[in-house]
Amino acid sequence: MPDQHHEPEHAVAGTGMGGTMDLGVDEAETLERRPTGPDGTGPQGRPRSLWSDAWRDLRRNPVFIVSGLVILFLVLISLWPSAIASGSPLACDLSKAQQGSSAGHPFGFDGQGCDVYTRTVYGARTSVAVGVLATLGVAVLGSVLGALAGYFGGIWDSVLSRITDVFFAIPVVLGGLVLLSVITSNTVWPVIGFIVLLGWPQLSRIARGAVITAKQNDYVQAARALGASHSRLMLRHIAPNAVAPVIVVATIALGTYIALEATLSYLGVGLKPPSVSWGIDISAASPYIRNAPHALLWPSGALAVTVLAFIMLGDAVRDALDPKLR
Amino acid sequence: MRGAMHARWAACAVAVALAATACGGGNGGGSGDAGAVLSASWGDPQNPLEPANTNEVQGGKVLDMIFRGLKRYDPETGEAKDMLAERIETSDSRNFRITVKDGWTFSNGEKVTARSFVDAWNYGASLRNNQRNSYFFGYIEGYDKVHPEDGGKQTADTLSGLKVVDERTFTVKLTQTFSTFPDTLGYNAFAPLPRAFFDDHDAWVRKPVGNGPYRVESYTRGSQMSLRTWEDYPGEDKAQNGGVDLKVYTDNNTAYTDLMAGNLDLVDDVPAAQLKNVKNDLGDRYLNTPAGIIQTLAFPYYDDAWNKPGTEKVRKGLSMAIDRKQITDTIFQKTRTPATDWTSPVLGEDGGFAEGLCGEACEYRPDEAKKLIEEGGGLPGGRVTITFNADTGSHREWVNAVCNSINNALDNERACTANPVGTFADFRNQITGRKMGGPFRAGWQMDYPLIQNFLQPLYYTNASSNDGKWSDKEFDRLVDRANQETDTAEAIKLFQQAEEVVRDRMAAIPLWYQNGSAGWSERLSDVKLNPFSVPVYDQIKVS
Repeated sequence: MPDQHHEPEHAVAGTGMGGTMDLGVDEAETLERRPTGPDGTGPQGRPRSLWSDAWRDLRRNPVFIVSGLVILFLVLISLWPSAIASGSPLACDLSKAQQGSSAGHPFGFDGQGCDVYTRTVYGARTSVAVGVLATLGVAVLGSVLGALAGYFGGIWDSVLSRITDVFFAIPVVLGGLVLLSVITSNTVWPVIGFIVLLGWPQLSRIARGAVITAKQNDYVQAARALGASHSRLMLRHIAPNAVAPVIVVATIALGTYIALEATLSYLGVGLKPPSVSWGIDISAASPYIRNAPHALLWPSGALAVTVLAFIMLGDAVRDALDPKLR
Repeated sequence: MRGAMHARWAACAVAVALAATACGGGNGGGSGDAGAVLSASWGDPQNPLEPANTNEVQGGKVLDMIFRGLKRYDPETGEAKDMLAERIETSDSRNFRITVKDGWTFSNGEKVTARSFVDAWNYGASLRNNQRNSYFFGYIEGYDKVHPEDGGKQTADTLSGLKVVDERTFTVKLTQTFSTFPDTLGYNAFAPLPRAFFDDHDAWVRKPVGNGPYRVESYTRGSQMSLRTWEDYPGEDKAQNGGVDLKVYTDNNTAYTDLMAGNLDLVDDVPAAQLKNVKNDLGDRYLNTPAGIIQTLAFPYYDDAWNKPGTEKVRKGLSMAIDRKQITDTIFQKTRTPATDWTSPVLGEDGGFAEGLCGEACEYRPDEAKKLIEEGGGLPGGRVTITFNADTGSHREWVNAVCNSINNALDNERACTANPVGTFADFRNQITGRKMGGPFRAGWQMDYPLIQNFLQPLYYTNASSNDGKWSDKEFDRLVDRANQETDTAEAIKLFQQAEEVVRDRMAAIPLWYQNGSAGWSERLSDVKLNPFSVPVYDQIKVS
């Protein structure tokens, strides 16, 4: 089902198009909407939707603004690292090994005489790429499989639930050590693939639960009674009401995926040199902590701030989309 | 120093737990408790501990504790001295008559006889048993029958050159004169084996039985090998402690941290990152002495990309792209010396060490390096990958530095990349499985202090540690001639000519001469490293 990966977009669009439906169905949807605020689905001039409501909440949330700015900055330096770091992250001069900060090298040098500032800036690219791409993969795969299982139920649901149980039983770091150690490719793709492989069950459970809740609603039953097809029911009626928890969990998971990439790279099975990653730098600098702590602290600090920013963003999004959980 | 206080308390706890010894404050150094057990850092050996199948350092450490051979290298001078050999007689350096001392037994009570040696050597030489050190028996008559060259059929089980005369005497007949043959007999491949080895091989492999001052009590792969003093050991070098627990570490930094925290008594591999601090941390409980170790980069000659004519220029270029002095100064804090030949200074000039034999090929000349590599057809595939094991020796640090040096010389940030392998045992398996695609770390710790040992096992066609499968007829011929030579000075000259062949074809890139290093807890005294850089465990006293 290749088309299904647009589901979140359909979902958002679907909310707006619900208004063109038969009266009975619209009323049912209205009932369902009530807890999240004034209902209605149209653009400006009409009552606000769940999404515009959430956006209004977010704009006033300082946590969202701060984390959003940090993430925006990270995305910008991952796209154009040379804008703020002129050197190359691979240029190392052993004669400067372990030196502290100096003019043009604010973070000093690591044990190999590489510029810590440049490497920290370039390391953001790996983290953001892994975080965003892995989250997309997990969200698409997890929500599609989860939604199908939740919607059709029966044997599909049982099979999928048992498969997710199997994946839940795999310890993440141990699984990474085993699976990634046999891969020689030195790109972000094996790491992303591994995270998607182990991450989708979490999302699929969320999506399954949300779909099961949504499909029992009266308006869905009504639409079914009126002869709506499976795809119409799924995309127009169920998905828009099941997507919010998926977005919330995926946003929070993004931060943990970044931390996982750093962990795997630290252990030597994620990215390997000459790739630049905070995990690699933390690993290389940790033996030198007594003589050159700066080489360890800067990439660690960057990693901590990044993970925190994404987790805080996820929290803010959750508060906005699902006030019940607040 | 907080660390030191901490260490003492923890050490007392360990001692009490293990040996129920009193742990007072003032019973002074020097007087060791013969019953106390010490713990030391270690790594898993590549293979089960069959003496003729162990050609790496970690397994060798244990074999040196649980076996005694005909000869033993003096822990201080490295000189080969008679151990179990009462007499080794020869008139022509080709026929040897060896008499074994009376009164030696294995730790299971079985007598060590001439047959213990002959059986062990036959086992080691036989193709059927596929022992890595079989090549050491290559000069014994009949070797071609029990271990035919590539693909041949084995037509004998025993070496015709070995004959048991009586219980304590056997004779060895070589295919050519080999004047230093008796001096090689201290190597673990020549250790005697009890009948238990042959009668119940699996049980022996699980719990090796030898005739050394220690016996193996238990071994859990990946965790620990416990060795205990063999009380009835008949030799004079009886262990001065109750035993040694060899603990497996996959990172020498962890071992060092454990030493500082008092969880470990002895590390024999001080991590490069701590060399700046070690004097401060340990004071006089730290030792750094020259050892018979040279670190080199070997190449996979089974890969055509590295075996083409012209690639010697690439290898020479790579050698000249490595700033050895900068790396030994910075990464190793001057505890290693840039290499200028393929042997070791511990041999001494008389023993064949030739300072500067490598010449300009071992000097840092980035411009010339770049030119040479281009002349040689460039790096195969445009780049090199240096494979190494990441668990010992701080290899990650220096391999990265070597790569950066090469990249800087070649003006290409991606010319050289490091490829770590998690453990030494895995790394050895990949090497012996011929899986190397580019240069790889090839540290050589000598088996006995002779120039022959730095050349023949490493570069002679099909030799035991010729991991890159390098082969050169001229080199082989010179080595054969050198071994035949009875005049030591002449023999060394011939070996040095052979070494020049290695240089001209840059069979391996010499990097630096390594020192042995060790750090220990306050419980220990009399810690020494032998010329092979292995701690002399049996002389360590524990208080």
